[in-house]
Amino acid sequence: MPDNAIYFELAYAATAIVLGGYIVSIFWRARAIRARLLAERSVEGR
Amino acid sequence: MTSPAKPAPLTAPRIRTPALDPLLTLGVVAFIAALVRAAFFTPPDAAQGMAQKILYIHAPSAFTALYLACGLVFICSGLWLWLKDERLDRMADASAEVGLAFMTVVLITGPLWGRPIWGAFWTWDAKLTSSLFLWFVLLGYQILRGAVEEPQARARFSAVLGILAGCLVPFIHLSVYLFRTLHPMPVVLKPSAPSMPNEMLVSFVFSMSAITLLFAGLLRARYRLATDRAELEHLEARR
Repeated sequence: MPDNAIYFELAYAATAIVLGGYIVSIFWRARAIRARLLAERSVEGR
Repeated sequence: MTSPAKPAPLTAPRIRTPALDPLLTLGVVAFIAALVRAAFFTPPDAAQGMAQKILYIHAPSAFTALYLACGLVFICSGLWLWLKDERLDRMADASAEVGLAFMTVVLITGPLWGRPIWGAFWTWDAKLTSSLFLWFVLLGYQILRGAVEEPQARARFSAVLGILAGCLVPFIHLSVYLFRTLHPMPVVLKPSAPSMPNEMLVSFVFSMSAITLLFAGLLRARYRLATDRAELEHLEARR
């Protein structure tokens, strides 16, 4: 059997970084938008 | 006698952190479980070695990016041009971005499998080149949405680009049959029975289900983000 485990490890690590980073980016963007939305709503409510 | 009203707090109300979406949480847990099963509880291929295990991420990610994400972008974009419902535009936007993330995974894991098996990270054959082209189209879709401020024009331009992205999918799928390519023929998604040992097939189906669930969770979270952003744009435009 060929010894190529490094490619498999790199692929799994890269996938975890890309998808994990994407989940974090959605979370932070949602948080920032919600903060602005809350500020806008409080301005509207005045 | 009525008690005096409580004075308003002097500090601004604390922003509630978006709660963890249960579907996204389930998708992440299933995805981690699928990676662990593929890495530690599935035998490696005798001819390809451990690199064969890249298939458990690469193929389900390609299925998700091409057929689920781009399929949804195509359908929602076409329906938006007909119905002009902004929810369809938001769904196409969310699906295109999640599809771009999965297409990025496809374009990273593919070359990492190709290097030990073909001896090269990349070859400019029809399947790989058209997949890269789709990645650029999905990236262009995001840039376009960021560049156009007027919501109707943004939705119209991106619907046209979304339909074009969807039209690429059958070409990418059929390119292994139409052209001589290095890319292997499908081993599971083909008219005949899957050519894979049972133990590997179970891991493959598990990975496919987990990545589909993760896609659904990401899509829902991203759609909510698009809805909040649309409401914010609406409030800002009214001021």
